[in-house]
Amino acid sequence: MSFLAPAFLLGALALAVPIIIHLTHREKKDVVPFPSLMFLRKIPYRSVRRQRLRHLFLFALRCLALLLVALAFARPFFESSRASAASALGPREVVFLIDHSYSMGYEDRLSRAKAEVEGRIQSLGGEDLASVVVFSDRAEILNPPTSDKATLGDAVAGIQLSARATGFGPGLKLAKRILDESELSRKEVVLVSDFQRLGFEDEDDDVWLPAGTALTPVDLSSAEAENLALTSVSLERDEASGRERLTAAARVTRKAPADGSPIASSISLEIDGRSLQTKPFELAPNTSATIGFDPVTMPAGEARGTIRIEEDALPQDNVYHFVLSPGQALSVLNLEEGARRTRRSFYLERALEIGDRPSFRIGSKALSQLRPADLAGTDVVILNDVPSLSAGPAGLLSEFVKNGGGLVVVLGEASSRSSFAEGASELFPAALGGVVDRARDWGGTLSYLDYGSPVFEVFNAPHSGDFSGAKFFRYRAFDSAVSEGVLARYDDGVPALVERRLGSGRVLVWTSTLDTFWNDLARQPVFLPFMHQLVKHAASYAEASSWHTVGEVLDVDRYLAMVLEGESGDGASGRSFDLVVTAPSSRKIILPRTDERALLPLEEQGFYDIRRAGAGGGASSSSVAVNLDTAESDLSPLDPEELVASVTFRETTEAGAVGSEASDSREAQEGRQGYWWFLLAGALLLLATETFLSNRLSMAAR
Amino acid sequence: MFRFVDPHVLARISNLSLLARSVVEGFISGLHRSTYLGRSVDFAEHRAYMPGDDIRRIDWRLFARTDRFYVKEFEADTNTSFTLLLDVSRSMSFGSEGLTKLDYARFLAASLAVFSQKQRDRIGIVTFDEDIVEFVPPSAKHLEIVLHTIDRATTQKPSDYRRPLLKVAEAIHRRGIVVLISDLYDEPESILDAVKGLRYKGNDLIVFHVLDPAELRFPYVEAASYQDLETGEAFPVIPDYLRDEYRNLVQEHVRKLTRSLGDNQIDYSLLDTSTPLDYALFHYLASRERLTRTR
Repeated sequence: MSFLAPAFLLGALALAVPIIIHLTHREKKDVVPFPSLMFLRKIPYRSVRRQRLRHLFLFALRCLALLLVALAFARPFFESSRASAASALGPREVVFLIDHSYSMGYEDRLSRAKAEVEGRIQSLGGEDLASVVVFSDRAEILNPPTSDKATLGDAVAGIQLSARATGFGPGLKLAKRILDESELSRKEVVLVSDFQRLGFEDEDDDVWLPAGTALTPVDLSSAEAENLALTSVSLERDEASGRERLTAAARVTRKAPADGSPIASSISLEIDGRSLQTKPFELAPNTSATIGFDPVTMPAGEARGTIRIEEDALPQDNVYHFVLSPGQALSVLNLEEGARRTRRSFYLERALEIGDRPSFRIGSKALSQLRPADLAGTDVVILNDVPSLSAGPAGLLSEFVKNGGGLVVVLGEASSRSSFAEGASELFPAALGGVVDRARDWGGTLSYLDYGSPVFEVFNAPHSGDFSGAKFFRYRAFDSAVSEGVLARYDDGVPALVERRLGSGRVLVWTSTLDTFWNDLARQPVFLPFMHQLVKHAASYAEASSWHTVGEVLDVDRYLAMVLEGESGDGASGRSFDLVVTAPSSRKIILPRTDERALLPLEEQGFYDIRRAGAGGGASSSSVAVNLDTAESDLSPLDPEELVASVTFRETTEAGAVGSEASDSREAQEGRQGYWWFLLAGALLLLATETFLSNRLSMAAR
Repeated sequence: MFRFVDPHVLARISNLSLLARSVVEGFISGLHRSTYLGRSVDFAEHRAYMPGDDIRRIDWRLFARTDRFYVKEFEADTNTSFTLLLDVSRSMSFGSEGLTKLDYARFLAASLAVFSQKQRDRIGIVTFDEDIVEFVPPSAKHLEIVLHTIDRATTQKPSDYRRPLLKVAEAIHRRGIVVLISDLYDEPESILDAVKGLRYKGNDLIVFHVLDPAELRFPYVEAASYQDLETGEAFPVIPDYLRDEYRNLVQEHVRKLTRSLGDNQIDYSLLDTSTPLDYALFHYLASRERLTRTR
């Protein structure tokens, strides 16, 4: 006999309480003083004994009734034989959740995982459905639920190590979805992983597998795991003797049992496949070290660099790739009133000449001489206090901005309300107004800066630049209030810097001069970085990263625009040719010509080569370095029970998995047999009998 | 009137002497005539001279007529000894309704003492448990001492009748009235053995058997352990099943006592502590008169 709720049997223990009270406590509870027991002692004991027996009979009735109630609540049933029970349990829905993050490349973890799952596939019942899901920080189902063991075996055999980091959330969510869609009552998840602690995030707690699901963890981690990893690389570029130099440094971390001994290894720097430097190092367990390389002169053009340490049990994190692109320059065209150079642009040009990352190529021209060809290859046009802007140049500039160019309009003494033709009005957020003269009150100041905008972002931190020292004696206002795109205001609320998006580009209007005529900003320390930020923002400049991380999606056109400087256009106006991307695994990916931006998911570790389709080897190409998420190199394991407890309901933990497997069937069996009903009826009958008898006995006693 | 003789009302009077006088004054409207013989002006009878008799009491006139020695006897108010035997064993400390048996016995003893004082008796008292606790020999001047002794009486030890009562019998040389106030928790034969000595020495013995109503009726309901106040022994008892047999045994005990004591001309009276004290006093007077008549 089995019980569906055996805990209720504990209620039978409560019977001990009345027994104890009846047999012991009742006589001991109160001691009644009496002068002499002389007469009581004379009464024969047997008569008392007989009375007690009669009492115990009633008591036994009550106890039996209570016992039957406890039994009824425990829901007893007769379990059928194991074989029939197994058939009654029904088929299972099994999800094999296999971790294929790159940490599974440690020794033979992935092959052990495959062997484990293949063994479990063989033990599946004929009607069981199973699916194989691989997960890292994202999950993928390899086959729909099937009972075909060959299909499952093939899916498992085809599992490859990914270059991604561990994350349990996506895999568990996918498993949950599969189980939710299943109509089978028995659900099981087999989670095969090295259970890295870093893969278990707080939000994974939100995943709850369906009630009754048995989650079986298969832990492949080992407490003795030792790993040496390259966790970060820093690259410093500078110029020496007119050549660009690179100073690289790498941070190496070693995770090992605390009682381990220091190990000696070496680290090497390779540029374009040639090993330039090798440095030895020694590292104790659970320590890190930064190893710096000597400066090396960079080759002309793009260069591929790699830093690697000696291979260990997890070779994936022993290498770090980067791409060194030649220094980039932003082309700036400064338009003034006439061909003659004035002091109006003196401070502006000096400020932009100093930049190196990026550098600025400054050209000057009279506005009246502006031709469409001048704007080709120009990133930013600065309209520096021009007295008039006729419709022709205004149209050119408007078109330039709409195609992604940047325009900085500087207002001053010369520019006035009547300076700009009708066609230029779309370049401004509002019609221009008069001049505000603050000379009487010793000049105004900038009181509001939008630190969220890229222009002022770098000044946000304390001691990162002080604009409050600059005095603005005169500036131009707008005729109507400007509410959008105001990046800076004076202390009287008049906008100082206004941004306006136009097409793919943007116009920035600075309402005072960039010399010392209307203000003294040009003499402030913040002037130079402000100018750099202003021009970079106008040009929508973004520095090309030396490397990317697996899992990122690369905007190929934008990337090419940055590194090839016009080879593929400006990154926004579409591409007239196909691109061929060669992945590190030599896999070819064709990105067809399109007006849409081509996005390339970076899934492999190494260098992606991007070149024009049909172009020969001499055609310019670009490389993208892709590295692994170095957090994954920390192999510290998590207690699988912790994960199991956080994603399954309490009653379906692994320990109770076997019980929960059969829970439905047991309930069904108990429901069919329904002995509790008879037990409860018996208890009521006994209680009624007891009541009747005790009433009779009390009446007789009276 | 009755209010003053209700034991529970009397229990509120802390002064034992006042209590006893209240009872006795209320009880006696006029002093009865003594049935005892003694020195007085009222001639009663002659009797033959016995060695030891005072020769001043010889009626010489009668000697002249009869040539025999006779002594004159006169009816006196009283001059007898009155000795109280007060049981102060532990069982006397029992009281189911606030008033213990010892309290009741003390009221009764004090009332009898005051009453006897008014009779001009010599008053003495013996308190005893398993042995004599205090002994005040009878004297006409001992009322206050007797009352103090009664007042001080407390229960400490279990009872034994034979040993202390034999000692009392030996100590009392002059015959008189002996009143035993006790709950008589012993076999009737043993009690009779113990009091026989007093009786055989010519004392008139009156036994007041003081019991609590609960001892007579056994009204308990709840089964519990009952503890013997005398021995401290506890005994599990289910009252419902024992009550009838208990009552029968108590009645049988009383019946045996009545019979065996009566056979030996010992007056026996059962008093429960709810019985008014004047009832006890009436009983005492009736006994005394009866004893006198049967003399």
